[in-house]
Amino acid sequence: MNSKKHFSVIFIAAFLLPLAIFGQETISGLEIIQKVYNRPTGEDQEGTLTMTLINSRGDQRVREIKQYIKDFGKEEKKIMFFIAPADVRNTSFMNWSYDEEGRDDDQWIYLPALKRVKRISSDSKSDYFMGSDFTYDDLGDRHPSEDTHKLLREEEIDGQPCYVVESIPKEEDYMYSRTVTWIIKNKWIGLKKEFYDEDGEHLKTLSVKEYEKIKEYWIITNSQMQNVQKEHTTDMKLADLKIDTGIPDTWFTERMMKRGI
Amino acid sequence: MTKLLNKMIRYPKTLLIILLLITLVFFWIMKKNTHMETDLDEYMPQDHPAFVYSNQAEEWFNIQDGIIIAIENKAGVYNSGTLQKVKDLTKNLEKMAEIEKDDVISLYTADNIVGSEYGLEVKSFYDRVPDTPQKLQEIQRNVRHNEMVFGRLVNEDETVTVIIAEIQDDVFSQKFYHQLLDLAKKFEGPEKLYVAGRPIVEGTMAYLGPRDMKRMVPIVIAVIIAVLLFVQRSVKASIFTLLVVLFSVIWAFGLMAAFGIPVYAVSTMIPVMLIAIGVADGIHLYSHLHIFLRIHPSADKKSAVTNMLQEMWKPVVMTSVTTAVGFISLLTSDVYPIKYFGLFTAFGVMAAMLFSLLLIPAGLMAFGLPRWRDKKSDNKEHENKFLTAIASQVVKHKTLTLFTTIIIITLSVFGTTKVWINSSFLDKFEKDSDIVRTDTFINKNFGGTSTLNVILDSDNPDAFKEPAVLKAVDRLQQNVENSLAVVGNSSALTDYLRRMNKVMHADSNQYNVIPDTKEMVAQYLLLYEMSGDPENLWKVVDYTYQKANLTFQLKSDNSIALNSTIAKIEEYLPALEKLGVTVNYAGSGYKGLVFTDLILIGQVKSLVLSLGIVILLLSLMFKKFLAGLIGAIPISITAIISFGVMGLFNIPLSTTTALLSSIAIGIGIDYAVHFIERYKIYAEETGNQQLTGQKTMQHSGRAITFNAFVVIAGFLVLLASVFPPNRALGALVSMNMFTSFLGTVSVMYLVLVISNIYFQKNSSKE
Repeated sequence: MNSKKHFSVIFIAAFLLPLAIFGQETISGLEIIQKVYNRPTGEDQEGTLTMTLINSRGDQRVREIKQYIKDFGKEEKKIMFFIAPADVRNTSFMNWSYDEEGRDDDQWIYLPALKRVKRISSDSKSDYFMGSDFTYDDLGDRHPSEDTHKLLREEEIDGQPCYVVESIPKEEDYMYSRTVTWIIKNKWIGLKKEFYDEDGEHLKTLSVKEYEKIKEYWIITNSQMQNVQKEHTTDMKLADLKIDTGIPDTWFTERMMKRGI
Repeated sequence: MTKLLNKMIRYPKTLLIILLLITLVFFWIMKKNTHMETDLDEYMPQDHPAFVYSNQAEEWFNIQDGIIIAIENKAGVYNSGTLQKVKDLTKNLEKMAEIEKDDVISLYTADNIVGSEYGLEVKSFYDRVPDTPQKLQEIQRNVRHNEMVFGRLVNEDETVTVIIAEIQDDVFSQKFYHQLLDLAKKFEGPEKLYVAGRPIVEGTMAYLGPRDMKRMVPIVIAVIIAVLLFVQRSVKASIFTLLVVLFSVIWAFGLMAAFGIPVYAVSTMIPVMLIAIGVADGIHLYSHLHIFLRIHPSADKKSAVTNMLQEMWKPVVMTSVTTAVGFISLLTSDVYPIKYFGLFTAFGVMAAMLFSLLLIPAGLMAFGLPRWRDKKSDNKEHENKFLTAIASQVVKHKTLTLFTTIIIITLSVFGTTKVWINSSFLDKFEKDSDIVRTDTFINKNFGGTSTLNVILDSDNPDAFKEPAVLKAVDRLQQNVENSLAVVGNSSALTDYLRRMNKVMHADSNQYNVIPDTKEMVAQYLLLYEMSGDPENLWKVVDYTYQKANLTFQLKSDNSIALNSTIAKIEEYLPALEKLGVTVNYAGSGYKGLVFTDLILIGQVKSLVLSLGIVILLLSLMFKKFLAGLIGAIPISITAIISFGVMGLFNIPLSTTTALLSSIAIGIGIDYAVHFIERYKIYAEETGNQQLTGQKTMQHSGRAITFNAFVVIAGFLVLLASVFPPNRALGALVSMNMFTSFLGTVSVMYLVLVISNIYFQKNSSKE
């Protein structure tokens, strides 16, 4: 994509859009976020996740993970197997997250060197996922009812018309004081998201680099989370995506974690 | 030269006004541009390999000095009140502009890695302050069972807990320190709060030393004025003698400010040197004038001043040039503040020379000759008698004098072998000062307030996942901790792994060891990254597991503590090298150690170098190599005794005391040159050795006595200083003045006599 070409488009759009929508029927912030939350992504999904962690000096660590996710209605189950680096190969991780409000995720890890499945208890969803810049909450779908949403404006990024929505958590001690999300109209994909810490300072920026239409679903295949305070970046790439292949329920068990793939 | 000088002082008032104007300009620049440099990192040669490495390592692992706030509750810390204070104080510190949010460690922020019946948990000890006895007991139990926290954040008596806030080197200021103290005060009662840590010690020292100097210097100057008045017996003479010093100090600092060079702690030594050296010329000039007028009471102003300049310009120029060259030899030092110290002291010495040759005669021309108040002439006679007595006694008891000198020198040389360098900042404070007491309190209850970072480096990625390497590091940690009392504890990647191995095996102590396989290590680390804050890991190991940071906590910041720890660590080098791991050191304590070594080496180097230059210059000036050698006697004696006394009396070398040996050069040259020059003149005039000795004693000997007396009296004032390094300074300057004086009038004089220098022609004639 050529960003220079798009600049003029954005420029014009920034001025014209507010006029264009004037008087139109407007959508509320909550409605937008609900549409994103309810965007169908299929019953199940499998793929290879490549997670690249980059620190402020540009050092990189790459992890390759095979992951399976299945929606069970009231809960979502996820199982992951490490492929690389070699010293953690076959380490597996399982996460069950629940729609039920206030219920923490259940997490298990299987360490082949220890030959045992262990529970991990995380105090909150503010823990970072495997040393990345994503918290469990950033990865999972945060329920729209947990925040108060407000449509700030509409603008174009990368040639895509977007809604800009600000979300402020209802919970007082939450790790973010607010987030601002750019959501592509009609596709209901969050293209960019800025996170502000407890003191209202800019903490992280999530940028979606690639998304694909697989079957009838819009799936994000490459996203980057940059922690601007720690100058640390995580790049997540999804490849070999398969959706709705009918992954058996029995895959999301401790037995499967031990067996490996 | 005399003609030139006479021409210059033809319009004395104009000359005085010009000099005053230039001085005012320098003073204005000094006022406007001078700034203190208190960041000690700025003092260090940043391109020195040890500093380059340490700075790099500090960046790799985010190594910073910590401010420690200790909260003591004699009834125990596990109660809602105290824990609330820990939480509030932590939050307050996190909000301070000088402190990064993630750099505050306390019981409130610490990770508790625990095993539970179903796995591993990394959680905080508390978020909401617990209010029930059960919950409080649970925290107490959790801390007791966590060797990564127990004894480190809470002491073993459970009466003190600490909050550590790490800060960047350059953010510490007195304002910040007082903010911290005010903050701590707000949380007092029933708990007692203590604030300590290297940034505070460093910062306070950088502030206290110069502040104390500012208070003491006016008193020193007042005493010098009083004593000058006493020995010179003339207000005019004393004022002008002192103006020479003051102007030269202003010129030196003005020039420094003009070049934008900041004032370093060692720069406070510049006025010390200039006071000690600068009064000499004035004293010698007025003393000569006084003697001349006594012999020629009817001489007019003009001829008296002309005679003074004619006879004295040479020794004044000789002493100043040689002294300046001596100080310029400090440019060989690796330490920039010392280079500047040498350069600008040299400039100040040259400026003092200029003032002695212009300001003093111009002053005499403009304001008339001093009216000496010679009421009690017998008093003077007495003094002369005293010096003449020394002269004759020294010659009479040649063997005794030489023997005594040799004994003193031998003793001093023995003393110099005992000299040790102390890079400690804490040792510079009074034993009963708040800073030392707080430090002692924390050292008693915790691992230690000082740190030494050991940086382990391997060529192989993932080296620090290898059990063999980790076990070697672990052994090193255990042995160093156990064999040295000064080492409180240590922390490294090994502590995380042992802790995790233990909690994953149902808290069994049997597993409080490094895991046996690389896979196990890697999987634990992954597990930690998934459950805890991975940021903590990057303080002990780098991203690719090729470098590791092992931190030792020491109970003292002095050089002995650091050196003994390093020596113990070095014993394990061969074992680590076999595994492909190299060892380096980092951190501010280590840099301080290297820095002091550099200063000492530089000082000794420049001392030897300047001694050579001085011998050469004096040989050229007196056109005799032997005279050059003899002229070096006072310098050598002063320097050796100075170091010897420090060794014998267990006064450690530090940045300031090391520089003091420079004073030996300045003073030693002054005394030697004036004395030899007069000796030479009288030798040619009288041809009689005994008479020459007596006359020289009455002329130069008298001035030297005055000089020594004035400066010693002035610097003894510093003994009343509240800052111990300034007290040592006062004592050592006074002692150096005294040994220089004694060395000149006794040993050097004796050697002059024995060598029969300047009498060879006469004796061959006889």
